[in-house]
Amino acid sequence: MDRRKFLKQSSLGSSLFFVPSFVKAFENVVSSNLGYKRLVIIQLSGGNDGLNTIVPYQNDLYYKERPKLNVAKRDVLKLTDEVGLHPSLAPLNRLYDKGLLTIINNVGYPNPNRSHFRSMDIWQTAVDSNEYSQSGWIGRYLDHYGDAPYSAIQIDESLSLAMKGETKNAIATQDAKSLFNLSRDPYFKNLQNHKNDTHLSEHNLGYLYKAMIEAHSSAKYIFETSKTVSAKKEYPNNKFGKQLKTTAQFINSHLDTKVYYASLNGFDTHSNQLPTQKRLLSQYAEGVETFVQDLKLGGTFDDTLILTFSEFGRRVKQNASSGTDHGTANNLFIIGNQLRKPGLYNKMANLEDLDGNGDLKFEIDFRTIYATVLNKWLDVNDKKILNKSFEKLNFI
Amino acid sequence: MKQKNIKHLYRRVGFGILPTDLDKLSKLKRKEVINSLFVASKKVTPLELDTFEIRSLMGDSYQVAKPNIQKIQKMSRESTLKLNRAWIERLTNPTELVREKMTLFWANHFVCEDNNYVYTENFHNTLRKHALGNFREFVVAISKQAAMTKYLNTKQNRKQKPNENFARELMELFTLGVGNYTEQDIKESAKAFTGYNHTMQGDFVFRKWAHDYGDKTFFGKTGNFDGEDIIDIILEKRRCAEYICEKVYRYFVNDTLNESHVSEMTDVFYKDYNIEKLMRFVCSSNWFYDEENIGTKIKSPIEFLVGIKTLVPIEFNNQKQLMYLQRLMGQVLLDPPNVAGWKGGQNWIDSNTIALRLKLPSLLLNSSYISKSKKGQTDAQLKERKQFFKKNYGKWFNVENDWGYFNKHFKNVAINELDSHVLACNISPNAQEYLNSLEKVSKQEYCIQLMSLPEYQMC
Repeated sequence: MDRRKFLKQSSLGSSLFFVPSFVKAFENVVSSNLGYKRLVIIQLSGGNDGLNTIVPYQNDLYYKERPKLNVAKRDVLKLTDEVGLHPSLAPLNRLYDKGLLTIINNVGYPNPNRSHFRSMDIWQTAVDSNEYSQSGWIGRYLDHYGDAPYSAIQIDESLSLAMKGETKNAIATQDAKSLFNLSRDPYFKNLQNHKNDTHLSEHNLGYLYKAMIEAHSSAKYIFETSKTVSAKKEYPNNKFGKQLKTTAQFINSHLDTKVYYASLNGFDTHSNQLPTQKRLLSQYAEGVETFVQDLKLGGTFDDTLILTFSEFGRRVKQNASSGTDHGTANNLFIIGNQLRKPGLYNKMANLEDLDGNGDLKFEIDFRTIYATVLNKWLDVNDKKILNKSFEKLNFI
Repeated sequence: MKQKNIKHLYRRVGFGILPTDLDKLSKLKRKEVINSLFVASKKVTPLELDTFEIRSLMGDSYQVAKPNIQKIQKMSRESTLKLNRAWIERLTNPTELVREKMTLFWANHFVCEDNNYVYTENFHNTLRKHALGNFREFVVAISKQAAMTKYLNTKQNRKQKPNENFARELMELFTLGVGNYTEQDIKESAKAFTGYNHTMQGDFVFRKWAHDYGDKTFFGKTGNFDGEDIIDIILEKRRCAEYICEKVYRYFVNDTLNESHVSEMTDVFYKDYNIEKLMRFVCSSNWFYDEENIGTKIKSPIEFLVGIKTLVPIEFNNQKQLMYLQRLMGQVLLDPPNVAGWKGGQNWIDSNTIALRLKLPSLLLNSSYISKSKKGQTDAQLKERKQFFKKNYGKWFNVENDWGYFNKHFKNVAINELDSHVLACNISPNAQEYLNSLEKVSKQEYCIQLMSLPEYQMC
């Protein structure tokens, strides 16, 4: 069932549920200013070690700084004469070979912060590292261009700051059913009198009633739209795999959602990094490859762009506990079928030119990537959302 | 004092009031009620856990602490969870009610968090200690807290390599608000805070070698200023008093500022920055009890949760579930999003949080059941449905609740007067119409129906 049809049916079939006029109001906006392109953001939380992800396997300095923590030359999945992937990333290698992956190296921001919370905060709010914001970049996208709470969905139990705007918020759900179950008690439906929604004004109580109605309408829409579609591929049996499976289910059922947000945790590898990162990277790569295949089968891959980031990379030099400490610039992955520059977008970081802490110096501000995605992919005014003008890159 | 006004007062400077307490207070004059509230809050009762072991692991230097760092961090995480729980317990029926509500307010003003429990607890009790005191002393104390010197990098702020983070947020968030200072003011004042640091145990130390003793020019004044001088110069600006009054007004009175009310408050506060005097003034003002200020604010998640607990005590058998609920509702105590804190107001509400908040009273207190029996009919489903829920979902809501407490305190309240005790605002006509069509099966069931209304989210 498409959205328009759903809204019509639900407002006519009001014995089930009533959609008041203000919810219907955004019906007209939908097709006019939004295309069908959608963005999937994958957050690798904890600070993924970028140097052991995209490996400069010909660089002696790399092996010198990481005597016990390197990826051996023979194990690297070679992409070029100099650069290769961590062996857990074979699925990603296949995407690379098909021209579906762009790797952007050395992404960061000026005056980097090495605290997880703060750096994640900076990535999610997209402000300068000496500013603090109470809204996230996707949230502000919703403020300006979102039509319904489900214009952006986080596949999680609650919302990250990235998904909270000044006036609008995204929706969080781990599966289509949980939110629906929470809001479906007939008691709540009966509180609304469908003859009269004029009292739903802008004051706080009116706002709550609106939110209640929107929540139910969104939960019902997500549940009913997606329930007929199931995964066409077998996903890895882990939490991240489940998130991607749900995301694919939503996308393949053509939910009118522009942004999806998923995350994989545990990259904070201060000690005993090798086995941990190996496990996480393979979860990531296997999950993403399945996801891409599932979208291809659903005919939705062409209109989907997948962006993977982590709040920072890690220090070049290994530490004393077979791990690495918090660093700065990192690599970022763009996956899609409409890439302008598949492969390596730019060179690897220069390991001879580090900052005072022994960390990489960033080359590309992550906000130029956000600006590019907003402007060229989601087709919106990036300046309105990022509150600043950033250069656009040419990876899409 | 009018019952209606007492209820309003207690909802704003506390978390609501029981009918039995209301009866006692309504015999007093407004002045007396307010006075007794503030007299009761004179005392400061810190919230403390046993930190002996963790302090021993930390020792008196980094060299001692270093090998124990993982253990310290683990114990800190556990203790911070305990403090979270203890804080929520404290907020439910505290003796120093206003002080506790103010502590909660300041925790979203002087926003800070730390991964060391000793520093976290110190910071937390600093908020409580100064909550109704002198604002100047408060800011000075905050600037010297170990947790704050870590959180906003004052301890990395050295003459040789200044770090402006604290100086910037001191003005932007703690005292003046954005736009009331220049970048140059930040640079100059950052110099004054150089040398701030703390001992391993968390006491403030001033490292002379790292301090910049040169002249600083700040807000038009030049001198060899230190951190306290900078705070004094900031507080000389009326804007500082006004900024705090605006924040107090939004939190305790109305989301929308009334310029003349704020101006009256600023006159009071600017004189000597006495927080208690300011709060007494607010509570005593006639406009505080204006219709437009009653029941028109959206409760924060903590106000909502503690408000429920104030009427019907709830014991969480599983601390993780209490944390989980806070996370789902978007406010985990001791874990703010960033130094700007929680935005509050309508920002608490999104599709997820509203759905949960409407369902939560029935989930926690009534086996998820909201009675929908039509007028004149008994509720045949009630028992069966509650048993079904307990059996199937009970472990996810592993709580004990004490309806006996509720029944005792609401004994003399007629069932059709219950709404005026449970809700802060009038029931909207549509909801009222629906409620009228339902049978009031019992006080408990009716209370759940009322708590499940959007109206219950208001305070």
